[in-house]
Amino acid sequence: MSSRRGRITDEEINELISKLQALLPESSRRRAASRSSASKLLKETCGYIKSLHQEVDDLSDRLSELMSTLDDNSPQAEIIRSLLR
Amino acid sequence: MQGPSTKSFRQAFLENLLVSLQLQQEHTSKHDSSSVGAAMSLHERKLAVKSSADVAMAAARGAGARWTRAILAPASSACKVQRCRRIVIRCRGRKRSLTTRSARAGDGGTSSGGEIARRLVSRRTMALREVIPGGRDAAVDEATLLREAMDYVVHLRAQVDVLRQVSEAVQRSGSSILQVLIRGLVAYVKKRET
Repeated sequence: MSSRRGRITDEEINELISKLQALLPESSRRRAASRSSASKLLKETCGYIKSLHQEVDDLSDRLSELMSTLDDNSPQAEIIRSLLR
Repeated sequence: MQGPSTKSFRQAFLENLLVSLQLQQEHTSKHDSSSVGAAMSLHERKLAVKSSADVAMAAARGAGARWTRAILAPASSACKVQRCRRIVIRCRGRKRSLTTRSARAGDGGTSSGGEIARRLVSRRTMALREVIPGGRDAAVDEATLLREAMDYVVHLRAQVDVLRQVSEAVQRSGSSILQVLIRGLVAYVKKRET
């Protein structure tokens, strides 16, 4: 994309917003009318990004827990060992 | 949207992530549980995993977006573990010179209608600026912000997918260790009962 000097037109903004809409999940696309207001779409994008962040957070939780069970020195592994004594 | 296919991004991301996780495992196993404070708490591990995932994603994305810089710059300076720091710097080296794509809106006379429309959009983009790395920078105009949002969303989705795959893989291999231990526990208990 070439960098453009000068005013960004409202058309360009609208075009970008509709491209963004195409990225949102199906469910929110169906809910929104084809002529959703720009601000609605921006809000939805915000919400979508936040939900993706939350998924990453949950998966990081899960992954770090799993990794600690693999680690010999973790308290979790120690608990398991103490059960076997 | 991006030059390379998403597949090569996923591969680069996975590679970066696995290297970081490996480093993390080595680092935690070097400190035995008896030395207080050296072992990482579960919360600290989680934060390390999360930050590794973000750095891996940003590094794999390469040049051409602002949000990657916003993630990598503070990560590189905050990294305390020497080897971890080298990883970030190495990943960063893959990127060519970062040319900013943000074109400032012209400062000539603007029609009042267009200007009002832009101010309205800029109020609406405030929330979006908060969730996109580097979005808070006032120098980022709305058009750039929207392009950044699109790029970021695409890569975030891939990050979620890959993280899920990695968790499932670790779970499959890790559970075998747990199963051995649990089987041992069951055998031990049975022995005690006889």
